[in-house]
Amino acid sequence: MKKFNTAIVGLGGQGIITMGTVMKNAALSSDLQDVSGSERRGGAQREGYVETFVKYIFYENESEMKDPRKSMHSPMIESGGADALISLEPLETLRGVRYINKNSIVIFNETPYIPITVRMGQTAYPEISFIFSELKKITNNIFSYDFDAISVENFSSLTQKNIIALGALFAKADIPIDVFVIENLLKEGKGAENNLKAFNLGLKL
Amino acid sequence: MGKSNLFINGTKGDKAIVLGNEAIARGALEAGIGYASMYPGTPASEIIAVLDKNKKNIENLYTEFSLNEHISLHGAIGASWSGIRSLCAMKNVGLNVASEPAQFLSYTGVKAGLVLAIGSDPGAPSSSNEQDDRWYSLHTYMPIMEPSNIQEAKDFTKDAFDLSEEFSFGIVLMAPSRLCHNAGALYFGDLKNRSGIKGDFKKDPENYLNLFNMAVRNHTKYLERSELLKKYLVESKFNKIINGSSSKIGFISSGVIYAHLMESLDILGVYDHKILKLGLTFPLSNELLGRFFEGLDKVVIVEEAEGFLEFQIKKIAYELGFKGEIQGKNFFKQTGELTIDDVLSGVSRFLEKPLPVFFDSAVKKDKELQDKLPQRSGTFCIGCPHRATFYSILKAVGFSNTEGKEREVVIAGDIGCYTLGLLPPYNAMDFLTCMNAGLGIGQAISIFDKNKKIIALVGDSTFYHSGIPVLLNAVQNGADILYIILDNSWTAMTGHQRTPSTQKDIDGKSSSNALNLKDLVKSLGVSYVKSLDPNSVKRFASQIKSALKEPGVKVLIAKRECILQEVRRNKILNKNITGLTETSESLYEIQKSRCVKCNECFVELACPAIILKKDAETGADYYHIDNSSCVKCGVCYEVCPNSAIRKVEFNIKKELKLETKNLN
Ligand code: SF4
Ligand code: SF4
Repeated sequence: MKKFNTAIVGLGGQGIITMGTVMKNAALSSDLQDVSGSERRGGAQREGYVETFVKYIFYENESEMKDPRKSMHSPMIESGGADALISLEPLETLRGVRYINKNSIVIFNETPYIPITVRMGQTAYPEISFIFSELKKITNNIFSYDFDAISVENFSSLTQKNIIALGALFAKADIPIDVFVIENLLKEGKGAENNLKAFNLGLKL
Repeated sequence: MGKSNLFINGTKGDKAIVLGNEAIARGALEAGIGYASMYPGTPASEIIAVLDKNKKNIENLYTEFSLNEHISLHGAIGASWSGIRSLCAMKNVGLNVASEPAQFLSYTGVKAGLVLAIGSDPGAPSSSNEQDDRWYSLHTYMPIMEPSNIQEAKDFTKDAFDLSEEFSFGIVLMAPSRLCHNAGALYFGDLKNRSGIKGDFKKDPENYLNLFNMAVRNHTKYLERSELLKKYLVESKFNKIINGSSSKIGFISSGVIYAHLMESLDILGVYDHKILKLGLTFPLSNELLGRFFEGLDKVVIVEEAEGFLEFQIKKIAYELGFKGEIQGKNFFKQTGELTIDDVLSGVSRFLEKPLPVFFDSAVKKDKELQDKLPQRSGTFCIGCPHRATFYSILKAVGFSNTEGKEREVVIAGDIGCYTLGLLPPYNAMDFLTCMNAGLGIGQAISIFDKNKKIIALVGDSTFYHSGIPVLLNAVQNGADILYIILDNSWTAMTGHQRTPSTQKDIDGKSSSNALNLKDLVKSLGVSYVKSLDPNSVKRFASQIKSALKEPGVKVLIAKRECILQEVRRNKILNKNITGLTETSESLYEIQKSRCVKCNECFVELACPAIILKKDAETGADYYHIDNSSCVKCGVCYEVCPNSAIRKVEFNIKKELKLETKNLN
């Protein structure tokens, strides 16, 4: 059995759940593929921490797939169990740090969203350099981009940043799913044109 | 994607990525339900929402967003007695409200199958408590099913209807938020032909009348039925024993925790112990447990919360004379969500097998870092009228973060989006428990502490849920309290279900039966009642001030639609009319030269669209309105005491739009 675990973190309203859904739909082509992964969604509120997990499972053969000791998968990723962590907000990358290990790929968005405690002057927002150095203590595979800026520049809106980030993930991490499977999914979905463009922007990063 | 079509039309052989809640709904559809209802509540809302959304294309399906859970479960019982398979869903605390019909359901039994799907919320990310509803079954006697993954969520739900009919119980289907909001692969089954779904209520006084000795007789009958069910469970497909090798250790688990357990054992590379997977966790069969205990010295029960299984299994072990050791809650915590980390660590301690290094160091690193990170909490959406309401209340009672002024006035909180007002920077609630506790507790405080002014808050949906009798009670008993109803026309928190206040649907159609809330409040005997727009914060604040000076029960209705719905509707309508999605004809801007950073908009109102920026040349901080997220509600414009925020109008766009209209 092979596995590939992706943790996606960020804030409510950033389109994280959509990223997870697209990735999961890419795992339907073979019976020997399985997928699990839950979302933490609160109510409709914005700006809270949100995470979603995508766990790809590839069985060696049918008997492994039917083995009750192998075929039941938790909807969560255990600490240190993520092959990739992608974060749409710099500070939240550090909240997602628990999921990574020394081989993990980390991709994070550089645009900060200031929590209320920082607004009120009670705490300080960490410097991007601090975030980098903390991540560096764990893994060397760190990439950061300003997905907000790229989205605004190309689409005059923030709404595509999640799909751009998804492209970046496929560019940097060795995900055992073909890029064209994702492209085909985006083609079938809503807003196909923008999504394809955004995904390809991300792939080129 | 394309999933919603499969949801209605999918047949055997189809496969899709489906949300846990949708899998439950699909299972009910495959079982041929004709009735589905709920009072919306996270994490269960999508169970009924997906059926409701698709009902136009599903023959003979009735759906209802009931006003509360008590009504909703009674509705399901009525449908069942009319021969219609019925699904009722609610969140964990909903069962407190529906506990009365649940208590009677075993007495009377069902006619057509009835399933009660409950979304539990361990760790309470979306709830005001984390109660484990399984304990209810010790006295309601409702059997409990606990699916472990998406496939089981669908399959168990479908089977639950047969079980319900066979043993004449309503069946509880328990799904924690980790399952409700898990999305995974689902293999569909076939749908039943739906043309024959038709109600036919047959009188059955033997079962449906509960009084005096009739109730006692029914009590006896359901205890007998429960014993029959236990016999059935010895060999059922729902409970499975996975045999180990020569190990004398056994694990028992159920639901999502079972999935955590199996993956933990795989991570630890342990495959030799005996395992009992319980798909039905109430009632438990002594005989089945007897079989499982055979050859074992040590059993550990892996489950969430206070240990519902451990409680039952220890009793059974005693009855069976099992001599081995039974462990459980001393390895797995009772409070908060039991995560895969908790299960992995607990199993490692129980087996005295070391944790993998990658796991250990990740946990350590995380611990070391978390204290250094600023906390983050959710807040109202940008342009949410609740933000204006809280701002107005706090101004009226003299509270200010910036000036360090506390408030004397007591504020009673309640359940809904506006509950977020208890978080900083507003800190505008002094207590919060269950639905309509705000006015209920607040009215009594007003009677016993005459020195304090009290404001109780409630949303429209919560008010209709069970607030009307509380308000009537306050009036009848001479309470002295200001009651603010935040009427945003929707049950917004759970995905915007309609409430009796909904005047206009999302497609712009007017509602035929919208209620006049002000008239309703008046008719309950409240003479002081006013309806205002909360976004006019100055007027609203001064109105709150004057209301607080009046004696008796005062009601202010903060009436403004949820901004998300307003924006959505405008988008739909604009698209239809002009093909343009751009709706803004004005924007708000902070003039750097005038802004003195008094923090009135940035901290007190705290609209997230107002952000901090650094001047590229001087490096100085300044406040800025981010126009890609601002929804132009104009509240900041009104709160700025220094006229630093200005409104910039664009007439060109308007003209452009008119032109397009004419062309069409
Ligand atoms: S107008 Fe002001 S308060 Fe309203 S959304 Fe925009 S920035 Fe926020
Ligand atoms: S309220 Fe006006 S002066 Fe005060 S910080 Fe905001 S824009 Fe500046």
